[in-house]
Amino acid sequence: MEFADTADQAELRGVVRAFASRYATPELVRTATASPIGYDRQIWARLSTELGLCALAVPEQHGGAGAGPREVAVAVEELGRVLLPAPYLSSAIAALALTRAAEDSAAAAERYLPGLADGSVIGALALDADVTAADGAVTGTARNVVDGAAAGLLLVRCGDRLLAVAAADARVVPLDTLDQTRRQAVADFDRAPALDAGSAAYPIALHRVLLAAECVAAAEHCLDATVDYLKMRRQFGRPIGSFQVLQHRAADLAVAVTEARATAQAAVWTAAADPAGLAALAPLAALHCSRTFLQVAAEMIQLHGGIGFTWEHEAHRYFKRAKCTQLLLGPVSALRAEIGREAGLLSAVD
Amino acid sequence: MAPPDEDTFRAEVRSWLAANLTGEFAPLVGTGGPGREHEFVPERMAWERRLGDSGYIGLGWPQSEGGRELPWGHQVIFYEEYARAGAPGRVGHMGEQLLGPTLLMFGTAAQRARFLPGILAGTQLWCQGYSEPGAGSDLAGITTRARLDGGEWHLDGQKVWTSLAHVADWCFVLVRTDPAAERHRGLSYLLVPMRQQGIEVRPIVQLTGTSEFNEVFFDDARTGAEDIVGAPGDGWRVAMGTLGFERGVSTFGQQLGYQREFEAVLATARATGAIDDPDLAGRIVEAWVGLQVMRYTTLATLVPVAGRAPGTEANVVKLIWGPWHQRLGELAVDVAGPAATVVGPGYQLDDAQRLLLFTRAETIYGGSAEIQRTVIAERKLGLPREPR
Repeated sequence: MEFADTADQAELRGVVRAFASRYATPELVRTATASPIGYDRQIWARLSTELGLCALAVPEQHGGAGAGPREVAVAVEELGRVLLPAPYLSSAIAALALTRAAEDSAAAAERYLPGLADGSVIGALALDADVTAADGAVTGTARNVVDGAAAGLLLVRCGDRLLAVAAADARVVPLDTLDQTRRQAVADFDRAPALDAGSAAYPIALHRVLLAAECVAAAEHCLDATVDYLKMRRQFGRPIGSFQVLQHRAADLAVAVTEARATAQAAVWTAAADPAGLAALAPLAALHCSRTFLQVAAEMIQLHGGIGFTWEHEAHRYFKRAKCTQLLLGPVSALRAEIGREAGLLSAVD
Repeated sequence: MAPPDEDTFRAEVRSWLAANLTGEFAPLVGTGGPGREHEFVPERMAWERRLGDSGYIGLGWPQSEGGRELPWGHQVIFYEEYARAGAPGRVGHMGEQLLGPTLLMFGTAAQRARFLPGILAGTQLWCQGYSEPGAGSDLAGITTRARLDGGEWHLDGQKVWTSLAHVADWCFVLVRTDPAAERHRGLSYLLVPMRQQGIEVRPIVQLTGTSEFNEVFFDDARTGAEDIVGAPGDGWRVAMGTLGFERGVSTFGQQLGYQREFEAVLATARATGAIDDPDLAGRIVEAWVGLQVMRYTTLATLVPVAGRAPGTEANVVKLIWGPWHQRLGELAVDVAGPAATVVGPGYQLDDAQRLLLFTRAETIYGGSAEIQRTVIAERKLGLPREPR
């Protein structure tokens, strides 16, 4: 198990981090979140063409760079660190899912992967879907489709399979979201043409793993920003970070972030090297890292005091992202039960 | 001599343990660990000599000093296999893990020649004289003093929480040798023989009802003028220089021990039906999650600093395993239910009860959780020091 970036990954991280910090300005976040699609098309274009991030997940034969989950995770982390509003996570998972599915049925991969690679097609996951499929068509509704309004391709969960549906063949209605940096839509399908996109298990696991990685990067930012504030803010004639009660709270956050970082790295490594090993690890990483992110984001608000409660300060966006991520991952009890079953701790029949 | 490859070494250790944890040593399996350090002490002293005879002490020490100079990975393998076999808690660890590295780093050639062979052979046991009733977290506040008189150091004062003081041959003691100097500047690191008139050892009865620690009273205790590590006044630097070694390589074996304990809790939960209780089942899963997270964290943070005295990585890891182990202790009795309220004759504890009680020590000894947090805040996060 490898925890450190390779040299190439470290270089990629530096490039994406510089890009993300340049563009994730308060103005961008405001305009992007005010638009119906929830992101800025120009930034998306630069992200996909100049940086080639969308190509990372796509094999070379389909116009991609043929990288894998570890490189995608680097991009997800660095965009997530600053909560850059862009439909990258969804689209990258769609690309990785279609790549894997191509081993069995190539139609969906051939149709969509080239567009996913150059960023002209955005993919979204409709995992919470109440749909039926018959004769190559799908009917029903999908809720909480993250980045659904931006997407040209919807991967719709139907039982234990995924179906690839062109967004143009669905009725997609954008939703206003609690976390404005990550938008959602509801999608209705009425006999929409659908291609098989493989087993749902791997994309679901990958989704959890990459969300875990994103949570950790965002939590790291919350911790860094909070520590900076504790050093700078003075009360009672000294920096508040010199008060032991606050030092100890910051130390607890540092410990939690260290644990979450290692867990997400283990999960990302496993997603790349040993996907079968994700059965218990993917829900574990999702549970643990989303919980840590929420803890750190909540403490970020508290340790910033009044300024942390304002709309202009960034803390609320992290807190909202953390809580919404946790909500979309499903109840903690369900994740625990799944981990318990997959790890052989609890019996399979409950 | 080049070391054997890791797989060969693992097989060697495993078969040695299987062959040697038999006969007189068979009853030692599972004994002597945290909370059980008072058990089978004479037998574990014999076990220590067996380890020494076979070259399993000082695995990482230089060959020129009698060690095997094995790489870090081999040492981890030894601790893993040792834990997997349930081999007994070491009575020689103070000598091997603390004093030995201290002498290797700060000792004179004469000190190394005099003391290292006994540690390597498992024939000479050491204890540590740091904490005092008035100097716990604030270790620099120690008041045990020593003065040089007639070619000997004379010690007066009291140490506390001294493991194995009643069987140790020697004690490494942090003492104040310059009463005029400020705090840690006036301290020295002395090597003191335990079997002498001026030393009295009294066991401390812990909340487990057993005694693993002692008080040690020095009343004009003596040691040779040459039995000082570093110069007079250097004691703080010497003691701190090797404190980190206490939290290094053995962490990996420790986690295999935790895995065994977790499995025992799980087995109890299945036997009692506690596993069908949703709250307890959830806590069992969380304990397992915590175990995996701890393993990943150790691999991600301690392995890269392998072989060096760890920095704040060790403080972070300690803040993880202590509280995790305490929660496991609480879970262990919760899955047992009301039966866990009854002890054996003479306040005899079962494994679950012992785990519940002994783990309370683990956020106190070796630097309390509060001290760890302060270290992390100041050294890892760079927060400004609190005025003190």
